Amino acid sequence: MNNRFLINYTPGSTFLHKLNGTTKVIGFIAITIAIIATFDFRIMLAIFLLCMAGVASMRPNWKPIAFMFGFLIVMNGIIGSLMVIVISPESGLTKTGMETVFWSTANGRFYLSWELLWYTWAMFFKRVASLSSAMLFVLSITPSELAAGLNSIKMPYKVCTIVSLAFRTIPDIARDFTDIKNSMMMRGVELEKASLSKKLKQYIIMLVPLLMSSFAKVENISNSMDLRSYGKCKGRTWYSEHPATKGDYIARGGIVLIFLWCAFYIIFFRNMHAPLVDFWCPWVPQEISGYWF
Amino acid sequence: MLKKFVGEWNTKTIVAVAIGAALYGVLMVWGSIPVFTNTNLTSAMIVPVVVGALFGPLPATVALLVGNCLADLIGGWGFWFDWSVGNGVLGLFVGLLPLYGADIKNGIFKVKHAVIYTICCLLGNAIAFGIVTPVMTSLFYSADLEITFLQSFAGGISNTAVLVVIGIPVLVLLSKRYASRANLVEEPEELTEE
Repeated sequence: MNNRFLINYTPGSTFLHKLNGTTKVIGFIAITIAIIATFDFRIMLAIFLLCMAGVASMRPNWKPIAFMFGFLIVMNGIIGSLMVIVISPESGLTKTGMETVFWSTANGRFYLSWELLWYTWAMFFKRVASLSSAMLFVLSITPSELAAGLNSIKMPYKVCTIVSLAFRTIPDIARDFTDIKNSMMMRGVELEKASLSKKLKQYIIMLVPLLMSSFAKVENISNSMDLRSYGKCKGRTWYSEHPATKGDYIARGGIVLIFLWCAFYIIFFRNMHAPLVDFWCPWVPQEISGYWF
Repeated sequence: MLKKFVGEWNTKTIVAVAIGAALYGVLMVWGSIPVFTNTNLTSAMIVPVVVGALFGPLPATVALLVGNCLADLIGGWGFWFDWSVGNGVLGLFVGLLPLYGADIKNGIFKVKHAVIYTICCLLGNAIAFGIVTPVMTSLFYSADLEITFLQSFAGGISNTAVLVVIGIPVLVLLSKRYASRANLVEEPEELTEE
């Protein structure tokens, strides 16, 4: 169960791990804006390579990462693309501006065009890029740093406490969940191979003790927090907070560049000279797509 | 009204919301049965019901929003802000319980409240997964609207099913538990009168 956890609870030792929580949070926001703003495959590829280089530099455990990408390929790459091709094959025309049909059924209801394939590929790649940026963020940060970073960008500290406390209790609740599941299975409750309605019923039976044991913790934790005067002052310091180092200033310089580039791209290329269609496609001429280069 | 909406943000609420979010994450990952792409029949939907009933709509919203992000992080399917925000909106509607008089803490949960609760669940799912999530998905990923609607429709239906089929019995159970406690408080007063 635990080998699927991506987030670290202890800080690592590489350059990206050592950055300040604030730097990591604003960096993630910058990359997310860049990914949302663009529908250009070349920019998405650049972001993807940048993020994967960052991920590789942290020397992570590749197994859960490979699992995540595999899941994405099956869910969005294969099933999602097939749905687009079956339900609305005309989206190749509406999203890239052209249509070169190379195969179609006799009545013309289902057909394939090169643009449709490009559109599904580009849409899938946008999700791949956003997953890689999330991966970079998650692998580099610890829950406590996440709370500190969120707080430093003016998030109310009560929300930050919720985030770090939730991360703290996940292993506990996961353990309780496994315990309850195992004891239910000991008593002969079939959870793995039952039918859908039966499975649902058995999940309800499991849910009651889990709810009780989880919410029983509330009283204990809140009392001990109150005893330590939680919420008495306006601000709060964080355990993993540390002053910005030289590496932070270098990274922040890069992040500022990303922000400036995003602002320029959104204002100049997406509003002043907005393309006529959503997706850039290598063989669609400039007059149709409206993309400048 | 506004106070009931925002809820009381004391230490207890914060801890309850955090634990609700963690519970949501765990149940979403290990306690769900896949139905459709990106869609699960998940027991995690019980979290907004309990948090909303005890603490109000805004805590339920935060619990769902944070919980969904956590589930994305530990589950291994990447960040989907569109779905997280949709879930947050759903939490808001499900957590409206105290606003129409269902006072679980004092043991008040009647048939009338169950009916309003069901309507709220339907409405919340319709708005969250019929409007918010599809629009955000098509804005962020320029996905085809038809398909996004189809996906979120499946999600909305399975969520509503779980919210009603599991949610109402749990609410009745909780209100009964609290009702017995509420009676215990009143008893000594009656005794002194005698």
